[in-house]
Amino acid sequence: MNSLDIVKIVLVLIGAPILGCLIAGIDRKLTSRLQGRVGPPLLQPYYDVMKLFQKDNMIVNPSQNFYVVLYVVFVILSLLMLVFKMDILMIIFVYTISSVALIVGGMSTGSPYARIGSSREIMAILSYEPILILYALAIYLLTGTFNLSALDNASSPLLFYTPLIFISMLFVMNIKFKKSPFDYSTSHHAHQELVKGMLTEYSGPGLAGIEIGHFFEYVFLLALMFLFWNVSIVMGLLLAVIAFLFVIIMDNITARIYWQWMLKVSWTILLVISVVNILFLYVTQVKIV
Amino acid sequence: MLNTTIMLLIAAPILFSLLFVALPKSLYKILAWAFFIVGTVLSIMLVLDGTGKVEVAGSNFATFESIVLILEALIILYVLYVSAKHKNWPTLGLIVISAALTAYTLSSSVPKVESAFFNIDQFSQVMILIVNIIGTAIILFATGYMDHYEEHRHLNRQKTFYFTMSFFLAAMNGLVMVDTLGWLFLFWEITTLCSFVLISYNQDEEGINNGFRALALNLVGGVTFSAAIILLGTKFDISTLSGIGTSVGTSTTAALIALPVALLCIAGFAKSAQMPFQSWLLGAMVAPTPVSALLHSSTMVNAGVFLIIKLVPAFAGTTLGTAIALYGSFTFVMCSALALSQRNAKRVLAYSTIANLGLIIASAGIGTPLAVAAAIMLILFHAISKALLFLCIGEIEHTIGSRDIEDMSGLIKKAPLLTVLTSLGMISMLLPPFGVLLTKWVSMEVASSNPIVSVFLILGSALTTVYYVKWLGTILSSSMDKNAVLHPKLETYFPLSFLGACIVVTSILVFTIYDYFVKPQVATLLNIAPTVTGQGGQFTSEIGAFAYALIFIVFALAILIYLATKNMFTPRPAGYYMCGENNLEKDKLMFRNGLCSYDKSSVSNIYLKDTFGENKLTTFGYVISILLIVAALAGGLL
Repeated sequence: MNSLDIVKIVLVLIGAPILGCLIAGIDRKLTSRLQGRVGPPLLQPYYDVMKLFQKDNMIVNPSQNFYVVLYVVFVILSLLMLVFKMDILMIIFVYTISSVALIVGGMSTGSPYARIGSSREIMAILSYEPILILYALAIYLLTGTFNLSALDNASSPLLFYTPLIFISMLFVMNIKFKKSPFDYSTSHHAHQELVKGMLTEYSGPGLAGIEIGHFFEYVFLLALMFLFWNVSIVMGLLLAVIAFLFVIIMDNITARIYWQWMLKVSWTILLVISVVNILFLYVTQVKIV
Repeated sequence: MLNTTIMLLIAAPILFSLLFVALPKSLYKILAWAFFIVGTVLSIMLVLDGTGKVEVAGSNFATFESIVLILEALIILYVLYVSAKHKNWPTLGLIVISAALTAYTLSSSVPKVESAFFNIDQFSQVMILIVNIIGTAIILFATGYMDHYEEHRHLNRQKTFYFTMSFFLAAMNGLVMVDTLGWLFLFWEITTLCSFVLISYNQDEEGINNGFRALALNLVGGVTFSAAIILLGTKFDISTLSGIGTSVGTSTTAALIALPVALLCIAGFAKSAQMPFQSWLLGAMVAPTPVSALLHSSTMVNAGVFLIIKLVPAFAGTTLGTAIALYGSFTFVMCSALALSQRNAKRVLAYSTIANLGLIIASAGIGTPLAVAAAIMLILFHAISKALLFLCIGEIEHTIGSRDIEDMSGLIKKAPLLTVLTSLGMISMLLPPFGVLLTKWVSMEVASSNPIVSVFLILGSALTTVYYVKWLGTILSSSMDKNAVLHPKLETYFPLSFLGACIVVTSILVFTIYDYFVKPQVATLLNIAPTVTGQGGQFTSEIGAFAYALIFIVFALAILIYLATKNMFTPRPAGYYMCGENNLEKDKLMFRNGLCSYDKSSVSNIYLKDTFGENKLTTFGYVISILLIVAALAGGLL
């Protein structure tokens, strides 16, 4: 590990939460404008986290905050692995650890609301994980390796050959940002249905930890979209912004239905178009390196 | 040296099985400990002795050959007797066919062998380690388990139980070391018979029926096995397992040999309970838990995949290989989906075993060096994790009196150590850095050359995550209704902790294991070794890198961060938020309903029975799997 790597790690550890916090702030600002409200200040997510740290550490299960630490640490690890352009399949598996930690954390509290929320989040895994791995498979078919470093030498952007997977990934973003119509497990708005779902029994510092984890996760998810055009930074960023705007607009124009619907959409439409895309890559044998 | 160890590995379990019969119950614990130590020492001795072939010839061979014949005759007579006694006609029919085939091999038209071979390669060493260390640990667990089990059911058959369990290990030891097909077939049939005796252990109607189902389905495999022996002997003059592999490289009959190879593979599918044979393994769970643990992890089902991997040189890169890969990955995705719909913990594990064996078979079918390496490693890691999980279920059943996943809610509060060990077993089945996921990762990477296989693997792996995570969340949850009575005994908790430690140690030493056992074995089978390096705690193949050390370090870091920050914010225990009126005096999960009386809230996991239930998927699975087998056979004939 040379000094450049250490600088990168420090940049991710400091820069990513700031960026993620701004993304969350912009999200709230845009959403309120779409709803005809003024909305909170841009830095509201930061104020929220700071406030939560000063609250009492109320717990129902002595080990519940351990899962928060696992969640945050493994989200950071998956982001770091992405920054260091390691094996994409491996990155997805590491990211799964963090998702599982949050689910188990929710269930560990034993609250009925949290358990229903966690069950639904497990169904969300069933909906998005195959698509994430197909995305990894597409990268393999186009570059001949799962190592992301190969994308540096790509002659053309990933997006040219994976438009259908890109569409599926937009919906994966929607599921993972926990935005409507896929905010079944826990939501920023659904006060009436499941309380705070999976996170019902988290408060104070524990919830602050989860919020910080979310900041990292936002950056990680949008970085996955960036990879679709990583030969040009401008275009890559543009794709990330498009994905982000898509998520926010969808959030505001759709209503939550029921989780079975999410499973149906994903295993019929999204999975099928992704497999079609993979078959296309397999048949044409195109390479971008 | 090597031949002494081989002899000891077969003789010692037989000796112990006789000791279990001869000595009183009070000495079983000491015997089991001794067996565990002897098994461990002998298997390590075999590894230290190195690899090689041992020939049994001359008068020794004549003696052993006649013993083999007598034993085969005895097995046939015994099966004839029990199937006639219980009027089980399918079994009777199959054993008659099997006897006819055996008689035919003795006739003059099939060439006779003059000597027999034992072939100790690295794969045999791995299997011997699995059988003798995990297998004896399971028997040790049984000594702390069976008294309680029999007390409940008013049984007194422990002599039969321990005799058969130990004899089973002897047969498995023989099966993984022997090279001569005729002898291999004897050991193969002994394991079938032992599993019949163990499954029908309770001697009630359900047990006997399920025992016969296991017997009948495995006899189907036995029949195809002996048909393959006859074909190989008469048409190709091959009498050893390693001979099949070498003949493919040299002779021009490569296409013709595919038929006997396919027949042997079907025998392997039946033994490994792949679709459409899966019902015998699901039925096997009526037996006591140590039996399930033995069948699922270290013996029986491994024999099937063992045979298939040994046959890899005969089908690598052929149409038959592709058909096997499709078949295995199909079983993987089907059984993972079926596991999702089950509430019975043992059934979930049974489907998970079948699914993982499907993955092993798929990897073998893909047939590239890396895929075969993945298949061998998956056998090892799966055996350890599954043995631990089954034994944990047995102990959980004793603790809470139920094997329903929903009843296990809140186990962490009642039995912390047991829950942690069970969680370790589950996590090792689905998350990095543990061995099972490493091998799944490798198979996904190599399967990427075949889109259908890789889509099956991707779906199956997502389903696996789902059914384990909901169970994991349930046992780690903090609300508990069931009464739990702990039975802390050294004989039960030592094997559990030992297996848990094995999971962690083998996952840390994964590259050493690969380098020492798997790499040379793949080189023997396919003449090329996979290009894999293991620097910096990464398992690096030509197409990717699995950074297991990094994850272990980060996991340790997470524990440190948790311990350091735990007391920074003073924890204040609180009750559940129940959205209004709780009845805290009686139960923290009570709330006031619309009729102003109190109700208890209860939630359960999602099982998707309407989509993935057995009644929805099983028939479909039978049809497709039979079609795939027919396709494999057709591929062999054409």
